[in-house]
Amino acid sequence: MDDLVVLRVGTKILIPFILLFALYVQFHGDYGPGGGFQAGVIFAAAYVLYALVFGIGNALRVMPAKVVYACGAVGVMIFVGTGFVTMGLGGVFLDYNVLAHEPSHGQHYGIIAVELGVLVTVFGVMVAIFYAFAGRRRLDP
Amino acid sequence: MSQHLPVLIVVVPLLLAPLAALVGNWKAAWIVAAAASWWAFGVSIALVRRVLAEGTISYEIGGWAAPYGIEYRIDLVSAFVAMIVATIGAVAIIYARTSVRAEVSEDRGALFYSAFILCFTGLLGISVTGDVFNIFVFLEVSSLSAYALIAMGQDRRALTAAYQYLIMGSVGATFIVIGIGLMYSMTGTLNIADLAERLPAVADNRTIPVAFTFLTVGITLKLALFPLHLWLPNAYTYAPSAVTAFIASTATKVAVYLLLRFFFTVFGAEFSFEQMQLDKVLMPLALVAIVTMSLVAIYQDNVKRLLAYSSVAQIGYMVLGISFASVLGVTAGILHLFNHALMKGALFMAMGCVMYRVGSVRLERMKGLGKKMPWTMAAFVGGGLSLIGVPFTVGFVSKWYLVQAALERGMWPVAAVVMFGSLLAVIYVWKVVEVAYFQEADPDDDIREAPLGLLIPTWALVIASFYFGIDATTTADIATRAAEVLLGVGP
Amino acid sequence: MIEFVDVALLVLLAITGVTIIRLRNLFAAVMMAGIYSLLSAALFVVMDAVDVAFTEAAVGAGISTVLMLGTLALVGHQEKKPRRPAIVPLFVVLVTGGILVYGTSQMPPFGHADNPIHQHVAPYYLEESEHDIEIPNVVTSVLSSYRGYDTMGETAVVFTAMVGVLLLLARGPLPRRVLLGGEWRTVRPGTTREELRAEAAHALDADGSDGDGSGGTTPGSPGSEDIVGEQGGKHG
Repeated sequence: MDDLVVLRVGTKILIPFILLFALYVQFHGDYGPGGGFQAGVIFAAAYVLYALVFGIGNALRVMPAKVVYACGAVGVMIFVGTGFVTMGLGGVFLDYNVLAHEPSHGQHYGIIAVELGVLVTVFGVMVAIFYAFAGRRRLDP
Repeated sequence: MSQHLPVLIVVVPLLLAPLAALVGNWKAAWIVAAAASWWAFGVSIALVRRVLAEGTISYEIGGWAAPYGIEYRIDLVSAFVAMIVATIGAVAIIYARTSVRAEVSEDRGALFYSAFILCFTGLLGISVTGDVFNIFVFLEVSSLSAYALIAMGQDRRALTAAYQYLIMGSVGATFIVIGIGLMYSMTGTLNIADLAERLPAVADNRTIPVAFTFLTVGITLKLALFPLHLWLPNAYTYAPSAVTAFIASTATKVAVYLLLRFFFTVFGAEFSFEQMQLDKVLMPLALVAIVTMSLVAIYQDNVKRLLAYSSVAQIGYMVLGISFASVLGVTAGILHLFNHALMKGALFMAMGCVMYRVGSVRLERMKGLGKKMPWTMAAFVGGGLSLIGVPFTVGFVSKWYLVQAALERGMWPVAAVVMFGSLLAVIYVWKVVEVAYFQEADPDDDIREAPLGLLIPTWALVIASFYFGIDATTTADIATRAAEVLLGVGP
Repeated sequence: MIEFVDVALLVLLAITGVTIIRLRNLFAAVMMAGIYSLLSAALFVVMDAVDVAFTEAAVGAGISTVLMLGTLALVGHQEKKPRRPAIVPLFVVLVTGGILVYGTSQMPPFGHADNPIHQHVAPYYLEESEHDIEIPNVVTSVLSSYRGYDTMGETAVVFTAMVGVLLLLARGPLPRRVLLGGEWRTVRPGTTREELRAEAAHALDADGSDGDGSGGTTPGSPGSEDIVGEQGGKHG
């Protein structure tokens, strides 16, 4: 336990920066490389790092498996739902122009919404798969 | 609302798939899945009617014009294939309620139905899209979910079967995406109509024939055309009954659709059959598939595996039709898509009924079932007659067109092989009938008829296979017009 | 200079690939796979596909390495020796590779401005994105808006992957269903034939026979179908 102290302290220092970087990648996607997918993976990587160092039990207390599974599903619904909203506002499916008075603003809103959907799904799925693997016992000792 | 129908057939199920996973318990998930399937079924009928009345429908997703954005482009072929998928899905979901409850552990129920909707959505997405990369995306959705669904079979070997399918399917998908990439590098577009316009100009460049080769091999892997069929028998044998019935009647059909789409629309019949000499490869493979796979089917003692080999043989018929590259041949292929979906769906569902009551579909366990499960076995005989191609069944209609197409080209030996295939079908269907009706049952077994929840969907398909066998004018008319669209003749 | 970097990266990539194939120690193979992804990411950077490089580095080198290590924790570190050299697969791979080389030999040179991919759709994106969407990163506008529907499909693919993994792995080993005494029951993996027979005879509740973690004491060919076949005859 004690010999992990460097690892633990190091991880504690690193994680906030990784999370911040993920947010940067998410919201700076309009200007630089990145977007929901990359941000989701980075978020998941930070979380997996936490789980590896502090144990899966602690990780499950931060975010129970059900919440993670729900993230995976909700993200898809956000993305598809955006399409339904644009249809409801009189456009075609995923026509973000109708989301605001100014078409280009609508595009911005639309992109933020769908990138959020991607982020949530990718994060949820990555962590869910990690949980599924980490939660298994070894079959042949 | 109605102008959005082309996209709604896909996105409504896609919205419902995560919902099914979220609701958690299998009963609620089933209701969601049933809503998705029946919604798509209704929309698909509406789409076929609209395409018949108004011609090709185009829907520009995101409001971006065609080569820049993604276009849904529904012609008669797309609409017809989407209708086949949706119809089988709508019937299979009813069947699944009873069958899956028995064969799949309850704690997997909600996710199972979520995967079922995803598979269904993916197949629909492939059939209605007008963009080659979009085809690949939805192919992935349908394939990944299909692997998981197959692994849910009650036999442990389902896992190996699913793994085998996963490897072969992934190789196929990779080949397809390489082909798409090569086409893109030469044309700069991913839109099917745009590709069709721009490809002829660069067709002499080596890259395009290679793209064509990769696409053909990739799709035939998904299609399980002999000799790339090795994944299919295990997958069909060990998958849950409802999954086998659904996938056997839809997944390979959609792969045939992809062949049609790439050969005739994207590359054009001239390039595919004159420059690439495709018929010289496809026709022998199809004929070998028909004969050898029917022969292999005869020697199976697991009836689901028997039917699986028969499916590989039947895929041979469809590909044979395509390889004529004539209106009559392609009509036969498209007709057989629909007809085979009905009869194989019915047959696999009948086997699911046997599974439900007997716990096995091995031949030796089916002794005397003709008396104990009269409706189930009658359904099997009905589907079997169609498989053989007896008049007044759908099987007869497609074989009739196929023989005509062969004779039109003066290829009477090919017609003879088609007939011979029917003869072999008689043998393997009879094998089952003989055991079920003419061998004495173990008197100790208290096997009862399958519940109505299984029999009604099974019989729905059996009756449909007779109905469209007796009155083939609607389907034959649609198939002929679809073939004319593909070959660019007629209206 | 760029050519040199290209060649160096590709050679390293090839060496890593061959090494992965030849390694029998799976732990080492997983590590090499991580390196492979990192090299690919570097290659993508050289090709100016920074977004792809980003993803490859995070997913290929990061998360999937962790997942593969998780798998190794379940299945062990050593790969069995292949029984015979895989001649047919080698042949298939060589033919495929040969065709690919043949097919790309007349492909337009990489990055040339006259290439078809830079002449048709791409100029529209480059010129109109600024006006249509008003964001400077054209990659984002293509992915999220022009071809947003594909991204939606990809999100669905990712979700499908989760559904698939959870179907197989969530909540412990995959339970199987068998027909026992006219009723479908759940059987946990690891249940032996004898236990099943006893259950069939007594029609006990199947949940009593929990798996001992030994992953199926009836390994190999006789699957549960045969088990069902045997006991089904005895019942009644």
